[in-house]
Amino acid sequence: MRRVLRDLVGRPRLVLALVLALVLAPAAAVAKLNVVATVPDLAALAREAGGDGVQVTALLLPTQDPHFADARPHLALQLNRAKLVLVVGLGLEAGWLPVLLGGARNPAVQSGSDGYLDASTVATLKEVPRARVDRSMGDIHPGGNPHYLADPENAVRVVRAIAARLAKLDAARAATYRANAERFVTSLRGAQRRWAAELAPYARTPIVAYHRSWIYFAEAMGLRIVEHLEPKPGIPPSAAHVLRVVQLMRASKVPLIVQEEYYPDRTAALVAQKAGARLVVLRGGADVRRGETYLQRIDAMVRQVASALRIARGSR
Amino acid sequence: MLARWAAMALVLLDTGGVARAAPASRSAASRPAASAPASRASTRPAAPADDLADLQRAMEADRQAGDAARPKAATGFASVLQSLNPDLSLILDIALAGFSDEEPPVTGGHDPQASGFSLQALELAASASVDPYFRFNANLVFSPEGVEVEEVYATTLALPWNLQLRAGQLLTRFGRINATHLHSWVFSDQVLVLGKFFGGDGNRGLGAELSLLMPLPWHVELIATATNAAGEGTARSFLGGSDLGVKGPGDLQYTAAVKQFFALGDNWSLAWGLSGAFGPNATERGNRTEIYGTDLYLKYRPITHGSYTVVSLDAEWMFRRRQVARHRLGPDDVLGDHGFYAYLFWRFTRRWGVAGRYEYVSGVEDDPLDPEWTSLRQRASGNITFWPTEFSRVRLQYDYDRPAWRDPVHALFLAMEIAVGAHGAHAF
Repeated sequence: MRRVLRDLVGRPRLVLALVLALVLAPAAAVAKLNVVATVPDLAALAREAGGDGVQVTALLLPTQDPHFADARPHLALQLNRAKLVLVVGLGLEAGWLPVLLGGARNPAVQSGSDGYLDASTVATLKEVPRARVDRSMGDIHPGGNPHYLADPENAVRVVRAIAARLAKLDAARAATYRANAERFVTSLRGAQRRWAAELAPYARTPIVAYHRSWIYFAEAMGLRIVEHLEPKPGIPPSAAHVLRVVQLMRASKVPLIVQEEYYPDRTAALVAQKAGARLVVLRGGADVRRGETYLQRIDAMVRQVASALRIARGSR
Repeated sequence: MLARWAAMALVLLDTGGVARAAPASRSAASRPAASAPASRASTRPAAPADDLADLQRAMEADRQAGDAARPKAATGFASVLQSLNPDLSLILDIALAGFSDEEPPVTGGHDPQASGFSLQALELAASASVDPYFRFNANLVFSPEGVEVEEVYATTLALPWNLQLRAGQLLTRFGRINATHLHSWVFSDQVLVLGKFFGGDGNRGLGAELSLLMPLPWHVELIATATNAAGEGTARSFLGGSDLGVKGPGDLQYTAAVKQFFALGDNWSLAWGLSGAFGPNATERGNRTEIYGTDLYLKYRPITHGSYTVVSLDAEWMFRRRQVARHRLGPDDVLGDHGFYAYLFWRFTRRWGVAGRYEYVSGVEDDPLDPEWTSLRQRASGNITFWPTEFSRVRLQYDYDRPAWRDPVHALFLAMEIAVGAHGAHAF
């Protein structure tokens, strides 16, 4: 050991080379463009656009309610190392993301820079308020309903926007990113035909949702949301409201209630039972940690909904 | 948040414009959300599903007609103007208090001071990006005593090497609770040790803070702050109310801290901090005060399955040394005391939470700052909080305060908080 050290002292160039190798080796290993998405669905779309050229992580789990996440400091560390940050926008992440971005010390991903992409700027939005809104109406998002990623058409717009932004940040792979996005769009078109066929027998079926987070999915899949268990967005169900929903469901023969798994499901289960409907608990996003893709996620939801509707129809 | 405000304001202005441009669509324009009337209409049990569908189709057609006649949201000069305004929020804290003593030994500046109603604080918070290099934050507190500039500072956004600089009036990041505001506290009164060591408003001052995010696999932040050492309610262990003036760098307060965070899986979090504050004290020029502290925060919040449960433990211990006479550093010339608090918080449903707290602070004889506080003071507190939404809360709290030098004091608070405007994000 001592001899090795003595040899090294005598050869400054070798030492320099060793140090450089140590410093640069990890950099070379993570040459992939580091993309951080706030929610898993955005991360899934970023993987489609980025392919092998990017490393994508999501700040939240699909089981987490994006309205109420904690600004855990290790997430700021992820933003610190990111080259591109993807956000849902419309105030969905307002309770935690500003703290993380402020603590990230990464000027490249602050809002207004190329490393920050607010996907709502390219999505087609629903429920954009047309009159003055205030919080007596519940937790209204004045920019529009932020759950737009459940609409495959928005996935198309967002995946193309991500590809365009990746192309800007990493010009050498620009063509690959664009080709990746178009390949995704092609397979999505195929899947859309499949979904349409699967849900065709239930077109215009009225359904009830817990939170106002399923309007995009429902409209894309030809279902109609006629009521929500929350009387107003973000306000937990009250007994009187729930009773009205049960009456409505009986009168309109609503066969299905949908909700994310991060909302408590006891009320929904009770309502479903009283109204003779089925409750389907859907995941809040793609399980990107296990490698689930956007298409697999929508596929799973369509299967869940279709099978519940089939059973409901059979039992009536 | 800015976008939310901008859109809100635009919508306000936009509606007027729409009414003029497309009077036929006024009924559609006055609806808060597209599907709401449909659902309201359908609550009449008599309406058959088909009628409902027809109705909804008709309304959708109306709505689309309205859309065509209307400029798309978030365009035009008005929205641009609104975009440049800072995010504003107002937070009101009021309390109804009952003390078993006419003159309770209150240490917190915004604690209920006596039996009856009290305005704890009306906080006006503003924040905005200044330019691509700075962010601006201000917290002004209105109370019966007047307006207090609690915090106002600029934060850099683009310094190299993971550095960040804050400059202005700022709460030092000593320990865990000092840098937080009343509205994010789990209890409706300030912890005793903070009031005794720093003052009723917490440790803050005009100054600058440099912090470094270490390039390590876990979150480590190093913080160094220099602030003016004077302030009756903000730096009482240092110069306090008697400002001796600044003749050299030794007359400022210096605060240093290391903050570490460990994500223990998805559901558990652990934060651990070490802090030190150093500066002159008012007993005589050249006399120094040192305060050391360590803080721990352990939080369980399951996110791998749907749940509103939060369980957290906060604990902080602080130790203080003060030179009270010069050149004679015998054991009697350095006053040493310490204080501790720990609380456990449990949010068991979406809207309800309970918390319990224990505190102790030691005392010393012949303390020039607290002549009465000569020995141990302990306090136990418990509370239950109800949040109708994240913008309002009601809390019932009981304190059992036992200073060794006087009779115990019982206190009961019924406190309410409401917040309007931009809902700022909270630090972890």
